[in-house]
Order: sequence, then structure tokens, then C-alpha cells
Amino acid sequence: MTTRDRHGLAAVPFGLAGLAVLLAAWWSVTALALVPRTFLPAPALAWAALVRGWTVGDLAGQTAQTVLRMLGGWLLASLAGVALGSLVGLSATARRYLGPSLAFMRALPASAVIPVAIAFAGLSPGMVLGVVAFGSLWPTLLSTVHGFATIDPRLRDVASALHMSNAAFVWKIGLPNALADILTGMRLSMTVALILSVTGEMLAAQQGLGQAILLAARSFRSADLFAGLILLGVIGIASTLVLAAVERRCLRWR
Amino acid sequence: MTSAITLDDVGIVLGGLRILEGISLDVRPGEFLVVVGASGSGKTTLLRLIAGLSRPTQGRILVGGEPVAGPSRKVAIVFQDYGRALLPWRTAAGNVALALESVGTPRAERADRVAALLAKVGLARHADKYPSQLSGGMQQRLQIARALAQGGWVLLMDEPFGALDALTRQGLQDEVLRIAAETGLTVVFITHDLEEALYLGDRVVLLGSHPGRIEQTAAVDLPRPRNQLGTREDPRFLALRRELFGHFAGHAA
Amino acid sequence: MSLALRSLGPALAVPAAALLAFELWFAATGRVSDTIAPPSQAFWRLAAGLADGSIVAMTVETLAATLAGLAVGGGLGLAAGSVLALTRRADMTARYVVEMLRAIPSIALLPLALLIFGFGYRMEIFVVAFATFWPVLILSHSAVLAVEPRLIDVSRMLGFGPLSTLSKIVLPAAAPRLATALRLASGIALVVAVTCEITANPQGLGNGLMRAQESLQPALMWAVLLWIGVIGYTANRALLAMERRLFAHRSDVDTSVAA
Repeated sequence: MTTRDRHGLAAVPFGLAGLAVLLAAWWSVTALALVPRTFLPAPALAWAALVRGWTVGDLAGQTAQTVLRMLGGWLLASLAGVALGSLVGLSATARRYLGPSLAFMRALPASAVIPVAIAFAGLSPGMVLGVVAFGSLWPTLLSTVHGFATIDPRLRDVASALHMSNAAFVWKIGLPNALADILTGMRLSMTVALILSVTGEMLAAQQGLGQAILLAARSFRSADLFAGLILLGVIGIASTLVLAAVERRCLRWR
Repeated sequence: MTSAITLDDVGIVLGGLRILEGISLDVRPGEFLVVVGASGSGKTTLLRLIAGLSRPTQGRILVGGEPVAGPSRKVAIVFQDYGRALLPWRTAAGNVALALESVGTPRAERADRVAALLAKVGLARHADKYPSQLSGGMQQRLQIARALAQGGWVLLMDEPFGALDALTRQGLQDEVLRIAAETGLTVVFITHDLEEALYLGDRVVLLGSHPGRIEQTAAVDLPRPRNQLGTREDPRFLALRRELFGHFAGHAA
Repeated sequence: MSLALRSLGPALAVPAAALLAFELWFAATGRVSDTIAPPSQAFWRLAAGLADGSIVAMTVETLAATLAGLAVGGGLGLAAGSVLALTRRADMTARYVVEMLRAIPSIALLPLALLIFGFGYRMEIFVVAFATFWPVLILSHSAVLAVEPRLIDVSRMLGFGPLSTLSKIVLPAAAPRLATALRLASGIALVVAVTCEITANPQGLGNGLMRAQESLQPALMWAVLLWIGVIGYTANRALLAMERRLFAHRSDVDTSVAA
């Protein structure tokens, strides 16, 4: 987010105060019973549910399931996306023929392929993994295409002046040139992968946080529901932070 | 009121860096004052101080006898970077109208005023064009029209012709002189070009660098109206140029 | 235009070849399946569904929820993003809260929405609004921050107050980026609406897709899937074309590159 670099360290106390305000607002809404408790539990209750679920219950196991599903699908999507994307991106002809189809596929809601995937593979863990990989493929694939398609023509001149082979050109010029785009795409893919993991778990009754919060809601256990939401938020933040750190490390030369 | 603008021992420190120091200056009403300085002499900062866009850390500035507390409608400014100072989503007429909206000119009168102002800067035929469809010189004329529309009596110009080619530049110099003569505006004009300064100014102020301070002031008693051939060949022009050039070159280096 | 027409051939060649291959394969093997149907049957089913109004009705339900959610989430996101960009204190205070809340996958709110609103439009609108609020907030925040500082100088010199500065300078200056935000958010809104319908809400195209699968009607399933793709793709192209048209004369906008 742009605010991260905008205010520097002086902003940290303000940011923490903001979190305190959020917590206080949540607490007062529940304390004043402005919202039925079945919808919104008190912060302490949600926290207690989180701790109990983690220590006594199976929340840790479900979190691990969801994280593994997300990472597995994302990894498959990243490998396929970069490989396919660089092939398409390097060839103007391939871009002409495949570009529009790829743009169409991206516009297709990834969750819409779930019914089709169920028709093919049933309500299996493999089906959910396939949907996660398929859905999170597009951001990485399309930004890789973009990264390879926008190599400065001058760099092609440099490569031919140095008598570089095609492979050397891809490895030494194409890939570094496309790296920023690829990493951005992979970050978006990770977000999609988490969303699809949760959706898949809800639909296909697979173990995981998606299934856990759906069951909690069905039996009106709002504290457990919020415990699940908090964990999903933590997974989201952690994955974004890790990828942002990787991005900074890889793009130090910029 | 004797002075249009008064600067009294003005200085400014930005981020621990002394940009301007001990600037004292009086500009007469209707005077065309040109400030010349190399890059880094704080010329633009000086103009922003007079405009009220920045505050001095030392000394005081009066415009029309009143201390400058912030931007005021009696002071108009023409920025150097016309590409960024014009509203790209408004036509030429729309950009001029913006200033009329700010002073609350009734809607019914705006069209006529806009047309008159555009005619004054020679853009009558381009009223419906967007800035992106105008040349650099035309965009700068448009900025001048907008500044005039504001109805102030002080016009600040920050290296307005720095980014233009020589021919366009000379045309605009004459245009600005004509407008200043017609309107009686007090003008503070900033440039890094000594010849431009001498050609335009009633008085030329030389600004030294690091920190910026006044090195020398010279009255330019060349006859008006000036013209590109005669004035530049006038022996007094050449003498002033020689005299100031020594100072200027010494400090620029 | 001739360029667009010439690029149409290659663009359609690949999907056309793939569909033809499927069609021929079905014709050659004479196969009947619960999961895939010959493309021709899917197209016929789509045409029939559009003609008898059944697919049209689902489309209306999905689009109504999409647009309502987009209006609520996008409107609030735009307001919040602009305010944060213009007020430093609020911006610093909100940063961690925004980072935390936007990390929650929107679809995870579906059970909560179900709990509060039950089935129907309101729960779908709630989830779509939540999903579009954050990206619009962040994009409008950066759009307002990216307004040329020189234009703020101009506004100050002309003596405009905060409201005039906002309406005459900041919002028009940010308009192209805000339009891009709208386009991206509308894509997200459609995806989330369809996902809600597939997962829980018994209405709209997503639900139609799910029922087609469950009742073993592959032709209808592929027809609806294709139709959802067409809607998403068309909406994106239309909004992109609108952006180019609206901002074609602006020197500060690069309208030549397709996103």
C-alpha cells in the first residue's frame, strides 16, 4: 500500500492507535449490544474461541490445511504461469493468436469453473487444488507475458551486438526485465489462491478454515466464525508481507 | 504607497539548507523587475515566497503594503512547467474561465471575458482546443491569459520561456512587454538568461548562489518600446551585458 | 479500425480451432457425457436460454447484485480513499486497520453474511461491497496522491477553498485513475457475485451453473459458463473503451496501452 512509505517511522504510533480504535469500537458495539451477539461476538469471546480452537480444537490443523492448499495451488500456478507466459511473451505471433483468448479466460470468474471441475473430478481434494491452481494462474501468466513483451528494443540490439544466444537472451535479459511484473503477478495470484482455497473448502466439504467458518455460521457459533476470520486475515497479511520482502530483495537494483 | 512589493532581509532555510539570505528589495508599482541567477540560486524559491506559496524563515515580505500571509488573488503567477500547470481536462477557454470562477465573475460575463483575454494573448482561434493540442508557446500564452484573468496587479513569472525555442521565445518576450505596458502590471520575471533579462527589465537583479543573495542591481535605461533588433544592438545594452556578464560568469562557475 | 479487424482473425483462430476439434471428436466418437457437451449444443442451449428468458432472468439477478454491491462498496471506498489521501493524520491512523481488514478474503465473509441476512440480494450485495471497498479505497487513495502538485499551487494562487479544490482540481485530475479503479472493481464485483451464487445464494448465473452441473446438463453448464465469460469480457472492454474516449485529449493520460 502506498501509505507504507509515505509517512515513515513517525506514523507507527498512529497506526497502532488506529488498531486500538478499531478494537475499542468493536468492543463498545458488543458491550452496548448494538448488534445481536449471534452476529458479532465480543472481542474477548472471539479471542477465547481462537485460543481454545488452537490449543484444544483442530484450528491449527485446519489452518495448516488451508495454507498448504493455497501454497500448493499457487506454486503450480506460478511455475506454469512463468513458463507459459515467457513463451507467449517472447513471440509477437503467439501474443497475436493467444493474447485475446488469455484475456477472455482472465475475465472468467475462477470460481465459475468449480462446477465444471466438480463435474470432472467430483468433490475431491485434487479438484480443489486444481481449481486453486487454475484460478491463480492468470495474474502471473498475464503479467509475465507483459514483462517479456515490453523488453526495450535497444536491449535486443545489445544482445545481438554481443552475439548472445536465444537462451542467453531469455536468461540474462528477458527474465530480469520481466521480474518486477512476474513478482507483482505472483502476489496477486497468492490473494486469488487464498480466496479459491476457502471457496473450494466451503463447496467441496474439504478440511480447512473455509469449511470451519461455514460450519460455525450454520450452528450460530459467531465466536468461532470470527476466530476463523482472524486467522484468514493473518494468513493474508503474512503472505503479502513475505512476498513484498522477496520482491524488495529481488529488485534491489532498481 | 511607494512600493508594490517590499522584501526586508528575507531568508529561508529548507531542510537545513540555506536557500536565500538577506534579500532586501523594493519593487515600484508598474515596474518590470527581472531576477537573473544560475540554477541553484533560489530564484524560484524567491518567487514562491512573494506568491505566498512558501513562508520565509526570516525577514518579512509586503505586497501592496500588507504582509504576505498566503496566496492572494492580487498576485498571479505563471509557472515554468506549463505542461503541468494547465488543467489537461479543460479547453483553453475552460482554463481561463477557472480563474474567473475563482474571483466569482458572474456566469453570463465569463464567455466575453474569456474571449477578450484569449484574443489578448493571440489564442482567439484556439479557444476550444485542449492544452495537449497546443504548442509549448501557445500553452504558455494560455497560462498568461489565465494569470491576467485573475485580475491581480502583480504578475510573477518563473522562467516562463525557459523550455521554448529561440524564435518562439522572442515573440513571447515582445508579447509580455506589450501586455505589461497595456495593463500597467507590476512584473517580477525570473530567468537564467542575462540577455533576456536586459531586454525585458526596467531593472535587473543578479542573484548569487549557495545561499542565494543579491550580488548586484542594475537599472536598464533603454528606451521603450523595445525591439528585438534595435535594442539588442544598442551600445548601452552591450555595455550593460559586458558589465554584468563578468559578475554572472564569476558566480555561475 | 483496420488494425482491429486484422487482429480479429488471429484472435479467433485459436478458440475456433479448439471448438471445431471438440465438435469433430464428438461427431466421430458419438460419445454422450455427463460432463462435457459438443460446443454446438452449448451454443444452441445458450441461444435457447436467451430466447426463452431463463438465462436473461439469471443475468438480471447477478448484475443487479453486482451493480448494487459495486455502488455501495465503490462509493464508500472512493470517499474513504480521498479523505485518507487528503488528511495526513487520518491516513497514518488508518494504515494498519486497512492492511488488516483488506487481508480477509472477501468470500470468507459469506458465512457471516448468510448468518446476518439469510439468502437473497442483501447478503450478496454485502459481500460484493466488502470485496470492492478495499481495492477502490487503495486505488482512489493513490489516485488522489498522484495529483500534480503544480495544480494544487494553481488552486492556492486562485484562492479556491477545500471544496472547490476538490471539485475543480483534485477529482478531475484523478478521474482517469478513478475510472481504472472502477473497471478493476467491476471485474472483482462480478467474480464475487458469481462466487456467492455458486457457494450459497440460490439465485443468479452462479446458481444456474451449479444447478446445471448437479442435474447433469453439460450443455447448459457450458452455456452459462461461456455466458459469464462473455459478460465479464464485454464489461471490461466497454469500460476500457469508455476510458479511452473520455480521456483521449488528456496529455497526462496514456490511453494507447491496453490493460
